[in-house]
Amino acid sequence: MFAWRLLLREFKTGDVLTLLIALVVSVATVTGIGLFVDRLQQSFEQQSANLLGADRSVRRDDPPPQEWLTLAQQNNLETAQTVSFSSMVFGGDGLQLAQLTAVSDNYPLRGEFLTDERQFGAGQATADAPQSGEVWLSSRLASLLNVELGSEVRVGEKTLDVTRYLVRDPGSATSAFSISPRAVMSAQDLEATGVIIPGARVRYAFLYAGEADQLEQFDEILQPRLAEGERIRTPVQRGERIGNTVNRAESFLLLAGTLAVVMSGVAMALASARYVKRHLTQFAVMKTLGATPKRLVSLMVFQVSLITLMGIVLGSVLGMLVQEFIASILGSLMTAGLPSPSLEKLWLGATTAIISVVAFCSPLLARLVQVPPLRVLQPNTDFKAGSASLFVFGLVGMYVLMVVYAGGWRLPSIMMVALAAVTALVFIVGWGLFKVSRSLSKQATTGWQVGLAALHRRLVSNLFQLLVFTLIIMLSLVLVGVQGNLIQDWQAQIPEDTPNHYLFNVQELQLAPITQYTKEQGITSSEWYPMVRGRVTHINGVAAETLFPERRNEPEIVERELNLTWADQIGEGSTLVEGDFSAEGVSIEREAAIEANVGLGDELEINVGGLSYTLPITSIREVNWQSMQPNFYLILPKTVLSDYQANYVSSVFLDERSAPGFYRFMADYPTVSMLNIGELLKQVQAIIAQLANALQIVLAFILGAGALVLVASVRATLDERLEEGALLRTLGATKRVVRQALLVEFGALGLFAGLVGAAGAELSLIGLQHFVFEMAVTLHPILWLVGPLSGWVIVTIIGVFASRAVLKVPPIRLLRSI
Amino acid sequence: MQDTEKQSVLTIKQLNHSVATANGSLDILKGINLEIKDGESVAIVGASGSGKSTLLGLMAGLDQHSDGSIVLYDKALEALDEEGRAILRGQHVGFIFQSFHLLPSLTALENVMLPNELKGERSAEQRARALLASVGLAQRLTHYPRQLSGGEQQRVAIARAFASAPKILFADEPTGNLDSKNGALVEDLLFELNEKEGTTLVVVTHDPELAKRCDRQIEIFDGELKES
Ligand SMILES: Nc1ncnc2c1ncn2[C@@H]1O[C@H](COP(=O)(O)OP(=O)(O)OP(=O)(O)O)[C@@H](O)[C@H]1O
Ligand SMILES: [Mg+2]
Repeated sequence: MFAWRLLLREFKTGDVLTLLIALVVSVATVTGIGLFVDRLQQSFEQQSANLLGADRSVRRDDPPPQEWLTLAQQNNLETAQTVSFSSMVFGGDGLQLAQLTAVSDNYPLRGEFLTDERQFGAGQATADAPQSGEVWLSSRLASLLNVELGSEVRVGEKTLDVTRYLVRDPGSATSAFSISPRAVMSAQDLEATGVIIPGARVRYAFLYAGEADQLEQFDEILQPRLAEGERIRTPVQRGERIGNTVNRAESFLLLAGTLAVVMSGVAMALASARYVKRHLTQFAVMKTLGATPKRLVSLMVFQVSLITLMGIVLGSVLGMLVQEFIASILGSLMTAGLPSPSLEKLWLGATTAIISVVAFCSPLLARLVQVPPLRVLQPNTDFKAGSASLFVFGLVGMYVLMVVYAGGWRLPSIMMVALAAVTALVFIVGWGLFKVSRSLSKQATTGWQVGLAALHRRLVSNLFQLLVFTLIIMLSLVLVGVQGNLIQDWQAQIPEDTPNHYLFNVQELQLAPITQYTKEQGITSSEWYPMVRGRVTHINGVAAETLFPERRNEPEIVERELNLTWADQIGEGSTLVEGDFSAEGVSIEREAAIEANVGLGDELEINVGGLSYTLPITSIREVNWQSMQPNFYLILPKTVLSDYQANYVSSVFLDERSAPGFYRFMADYPTVSMLNIGELLKQVQAIIAQLANALQIVLAFILGAGALVLVASVRATLDERLEEGALLRTLGATKRVVRQALLVEFGALGLFAGLVGAAGAELSLIGLQHFVFEMAVTLHPILWLVGPLSGWVIVTIIGVFASRAVLKVPPIRLLRSI
Repeated sequence: MQDTEKQSVLTIKQLNHSVATANGSLDILKGINLEIKDGESVAIVGASGSGKSTLLGLMAGLDQHSDGSIVLYDKALEALDEEGRAILRGQHVGFIFQSFHLLPSLTALENVMLPNELKGERSAEQRARALLASVGLAQRLTHYPRQLSGGEQQRVAIARAFASAPKILFADEPTGNLDSKNGALVEDLLFELNEKEGTTLVVVTHDPELAKRCDRQIEIFDGELKES
């Protein structure tokens, strides 16, 4: 086939090859990142599912109806159930109120129990659940009851064997606030205990797990069957600590992906611009030879489709290999291997390829087809291969791509505004700089003179190149900045002695002795916060049910009973964002305020113990949840709460050394609940470590793509440079002069680009910090050093490398050029 | 006597051509009347910038003229769109350029096959080989343009121009980039093929020798035609 052979020919000359490589790079980058992000996401979801014990859970006051089980089975889902209740446990020395969970045999559906054979041991993953007749006690409960492995304990009327120490129940992390000494037993023994009687406070959990599609289907079936106050819990949820971390990571990786898309777009536009430039006359010649526009269009369409297809196939394969490589490096760092990628993510690469070709190549190529045949007789016939409208087309394409990729318009919009600003900045500053450099070149030595003059001579193409370099440097700096920010942020948030145990239900009288003990033993602890439960019923006089009829979007502050506190000071781990903390009103946590769409001055009606209080919001706090300090969505004035009977809450840091003593000490206060969140913290830290590693690799990946764009953009002006080099040589310039000219030209370009890029990066980082990551805005002075320096070095190296042919070009080339 | 036998292949009546420039409209060709008969060879001469290339391009239907009529092989060019003109070019017209304009990615043979392949014809290779042999390049079939000298490139271009067996051949300064020896060689080839294939020849040239070898010489003065 003719079109096919013509295309093969083009490969040999390199232009089409460049285009294909650009396409492969873009598809591979997007595919690689897409698949990898997908795997990470799956992995996070799995890990958080482990914390939930299933993919979904519904908690309720009654056993789940048989209908739910049947429906779940019909949808090919696995189900499990747990029943949680408080009961006295009798053993060795006496009796103890404990929080018991009776679990079905197949519990947990996700994740595992951590148990140990040593009291206060760290625990190993344990695949199965307690069998009938067995009970697993938390080390603390065992020490309170003074029993050990092999002893018998009695729950209600049923006697059970203590077979293991319970370290962590997979579901425990999400049932946070009700945990006192714990025990797990088999659901089969539940009836025999006889403790589940009408009126007893019992919580049932209906758990299910399965394939994503089926989960979604079943969620929809189940949703209308839920009773008031019930909801489907999913692993990653807003407000949850790990959820937040994952969301930020997701933003970052998407940002990274978006940058890759921008870069590949630039590379493709460059490649096709060069292709078009070199082929204008050829197409005019073909027209004079009788090729009709239709014929040329179909020729073009065929070739472009073929290249696109090849790009998609090769790029997808490469992308899969790359992400597999990243995953394998990461795999050794991670405790659990990454789940395999979902192949349907491959469409992302294919879509990118098609949109890129349509936006970046096709308008240029269309111009190629439109070239007037007269051009062969009058080569200077006015015909621009690129124009402002093409640029707009490319920008729109870029925006569409970013929106497709980010799945939203916010990040892309910020990026586009930044891009527009940078473009304007680059053109203005660049134009000025080139003007200055031209006047400088008058007094310079030959090589410098030629180099500086070249900057001004190729004003338009150099401005464009400056823009490309600037963008790449800027994007790289943004990436590095964002990454540094995120990781520092995360790590700073979890210091070594972060509290890992919460103490609840402490009575006022117990405060003094416990505080004394922790002081004596040097155990780090937070302040005591009084805690009263209450519910927000109205916002600005409108009932919550009226404001949020759809239970799904209900903000957390009206969704359930809240723990309320009062405090004289704002407390560790929180900062005031707005308003006056000491004013006589409600202080609200910032995200909760955003979620409920309330601000300073809005009035909340809060029901505490049957009485309603209407209070204005007088301050907004930012809470650092990772600080693991007791934190509260709402802090009320002391005058409102001090009449109520409060329980106190605090958090302490226990290590292996201090834990056993503290547990034994706390045995004297059996009513105090203790929650070990050390495991949760470890999980968060493990995820952060994984992310830090993943981000570094993704970063390297994108910087590689950036380098490729640099090479492509230098190649775009290569023909001109070759011509010029040959001309210089012909006019008697030595190789040294030519080299010096190149060094000066690229050096200056890189330096300028680095400078402008640093400015752009600073602006973008401020925007990202403020709008996307919602962190405090900080300045990055280091950018202003790294930007120009790296720009100078990298652009010089790549520029001189990519145009090294100019040094070797024999002057004879001028006579042979075609 | 001869004139009545031969059919007119190209008829130009009251041709005016102007282009829009920054300083308003610029008249390049003014009131041109011209008739070219089958098999004739016509030289167009004139000073640089007088409008020779423009006229050649319009005659060949490379561009749309402003006013007047051009009839090429019974088709009024002003009535055709670019698609129609391209088809007409493919059927009847061949071209040779001062700067050769071979496709750099194609070999000599492939360049010569190009016009026929663009039309979707399959058996292009035989004829292309024969044509290249007749311009003395039988040994250079697989060479790329950059491996050929200017004279050789122009000979490939001539072979390419004749590949689709055009009835009329337009040449814009075909020897302009060549030395006298190579120029003469190319000239000889041109006329040889013109004889052999019976092709009508329209040549724009600054070379008085070449102009003299043509049946007719037409001179353009500042956009106006003067036959000598
Ligand atoms: N598209 C255009 N826009 C403006 N001016 C044009 C355009 N096309 C041709 N001209 C002008 O028309 C005049 C005739 O051009 P043309 O190329 O036909 O001259 P020529 O006789 O072929 O000259 P030469 O011998 O140097 O090739 C020139 O002055 C040229 O600048
Ligand atoms: Mg001319």
